[in-house]
Amino acid sequence: MTDSANDCVFCKIIEGKLPAQIVYEDDLTMAFRDSNPASPIHILIVPKRHIPTLNDLTEEDALLCRLGQVAQKIAGDLGVAESGYRFFINVNRGGGQRVFHLHAHLVAGNDLGTFFIKVAVGVAVLWRKLVSLVKRGDRRGGNTS
Amino acid sequence: MAPMQDDCVFCRIVNGKSPADIVYEDDRVVAFRDANPAAPLHILVVPREHIATLNDVPEGSDIISHCGQTAAKIAEMFGVAESGYRFLINVNHGGGQVIFHLHVHVVSRSNPDMGRNPGGRTSK
Repeated sequence: MTDSANDCVFCKIIEGKLPAQIVYEDDLTMAFRDSNPASPIHILIVPKRHIPTLNDLTEEDALLCRLGQVAQKIAGDLGVAESGYRFFINVNRGGGQRVFHLHAHLVAGNDLGTFFIKVAVGVAVLWRKLVSLVKRGDRRGGNTS
Repeated sequence: MAPMQDDCVFCRIVNGKSPADIVYEDDRVVAFRDANPAAPLHILVVPREHIATLNDVPEGSDIISHCGQTAAKIAEMFGVAESGYRFLINVNHGGGQVIFHLHVHVVSRSNPDMGRNPGGRTSK
């Protein structure tokens, strides 16, 4: 099933020779947490078959559909299907691929953090403007009296 | 196939009612340049069928695989298949989805082969 490549990290995880936080598994795929997460939720969905890149999938191969379905399921299980997530595949070095065993990233959670930071910065800016307006008003009030 | 949605920008492009710089099309998808590219090469692969998000792709549908095949073809056409590219689907607002018609971003920061005409038509 796995058609393992000897030096492939993901093949070793699939074969149980390396540890990983597995969140899902079926006959064709396995999903586990990225060991260097770029976001609070960062899952890698990998086919059990060793396929180097997206370019190596054949016309009749429906594996990418399965990866998409698994992403739907995991996003649902983790409660981010409706709030939102990113599903992406990096292809070759210029595309950011580091492990040459096809894998899809499911990433969620960063945008919410960014949103709260933007809100916090916005509130701080508005507060400073308000304070300076009040001070200016006080000074003017003081001059006229 | 889901009927065209009059208020959907991508349905309008797919049906030739809005202009786009189309680089590839077949019976299931249309691919065109993003109007606000985030990289030197930024193509959107859009299924002709109106599906709102990745969450709405029905079980048993092979549209995502077809989009993957199309992405690989486009990468080849623009000379970035080997140098590298990213296949990206944003899902819902928090995932960065702005237009609610399923679409795949094919993005490459490598210098695409601008001199080649990938053979698609440009709709007016």
